[in-house]
Amino acid sequence: MIYHRAEHLDDALNLIHQHPDFLLLCGSTDVAVQLSDQNTVQGLIDIGGLSELRAIEMGSESIHIGALATVTEIMESAAVRTHLPLLIAASEVFASHQIRNLATLGGNIANASPAADLTAVLLVLNATLTLGSKQGRREIALDELFCGYKCTKLDHEMILGITIPLQEHQWYYRKAGARERLNIAKVSLAVVKNSGGYCISGASLNPYALRLRHVEELLNSGDVSDEKISEALAQDIAPSGSFRSTKAYRTRVAFNMVKEAFSSLEAS
Amino acid sequence: MQIRCTINSRPYRFECEPEERLLDVVRRLGMLSVKKGCGEGECGTCSLFFNGKLVNSCLLLAPQMQGAEIVTLEGLQKETETIRENFAKEGAVQCGFCTPGFVMRAYDYIIHEGSKDEKRVKEALDGNICRCTGYQKIVEAIVKSMS
Repeated sequence: MIYHRAEHLDDALNLIHQHPDFLLLCGSTDVAVQLSDQNTVQGLIDIGGLSELRAIEMGSESIHIGALATVTEIMESAAVRTHLPLLIAASEVFASHQIRNLATLGGNIANASPAADLTAVLLVLNATLTLGSKQGRREIALDELFCGYKCTKLDHEMILGITIPLQEHQWYYRKAGARERLNIAKVSLAVVKNSGGYCISGASLNPYALRLRHVEELLNSGDVSDEKISEALAQDIAPSGSFRSTKAYRTRVAFNMVKEAFSSLEAS
Repeated sequence: MQIRCTINSRPYRFECEPEERLLDVVRRLGMLSVKKGCGEGECGTCSLFFNGKLVNSCLLLAPQMQGAEIVTLEGLQKETETIRENFAKEGAVQCGFCTPGFVMRAYDYIIHEGSKDEKRVKEALDGNICRCTGYQKIVEAIVKSMS
């Protein structure tokens, strides 16, 4: 296996351009497990030294989180604590203390796991990504990044940062798994209710975390019944049955969470 | 490839392969408090300080040690004396395999957070697994170390 360490951003973008099939390495919490599971990794580009991508900055209308900010750094940010309690709630039950000290926000997104906890939360917070390549930079909405199981549209590019607009909102977050911590979600649901209505996303319900548009539409209509929730969910989710959970369990728990989110957010 | 880094305040220089784990390197260099349990970040018995943060050394690759400051339990003998004594006194030690990782996390928790609330202590141990004690005695030993 080949290993390159990028000394600065331009260096990293050049390396990505030359070796599009190499994995980016920073927190290493996903890469290390991947290396153990399969021996198909050609090479690594270590971006851990790009300290310019670590900052969390408060703007007048948004919060910008560098792709290399760790989950611990996000939890310690006063700006995030004040304005994005939903992101804090998901971070607190993310993996374990030792992993939170390593795992980066950019890594959680780019790894594109169906169970990506923070990706699900960022979707309902309307996050946009700044992508960088040798050709320059571009912005895309987070929900345009994924194209399948563990598959992204990153094209000789890397995630540089995540921008979350500031907007008054109420929120709901719930994660179900075999235990409380160090737990890969069997189902998680993130819900935001703001002046535009409901935004809902879930992890472990589809090949990748995505917005549940039919459920959103139903809750926004106000004409909600158990039967209608089930119907809308059936259109939005395609959970897999795996060693971690069954399709039936995931479907039922997603239904329970949607009901719980709706009743708690309507009441408040 | 050649790596230079600091382990327990001493400079080290060594050769490693890119796919080697930090955990295996520090063991090879003689830091045997760092145990190899699960190899995938679940059990915490390989915990050490990497640039000041407690991490699973099984998840980091050897090349990431370049220029890093690493501290293992061997380098914290004095600082963890009270914690280790309390682990022994409270019966928080049985087979001992998880103990170094728990002592490292206890030390990390006490210097950074330090609430005596048992619920907080239990939550703080979310990255460490013990298969003997049932955890209660470990929690008690940590709380006692803060008294």
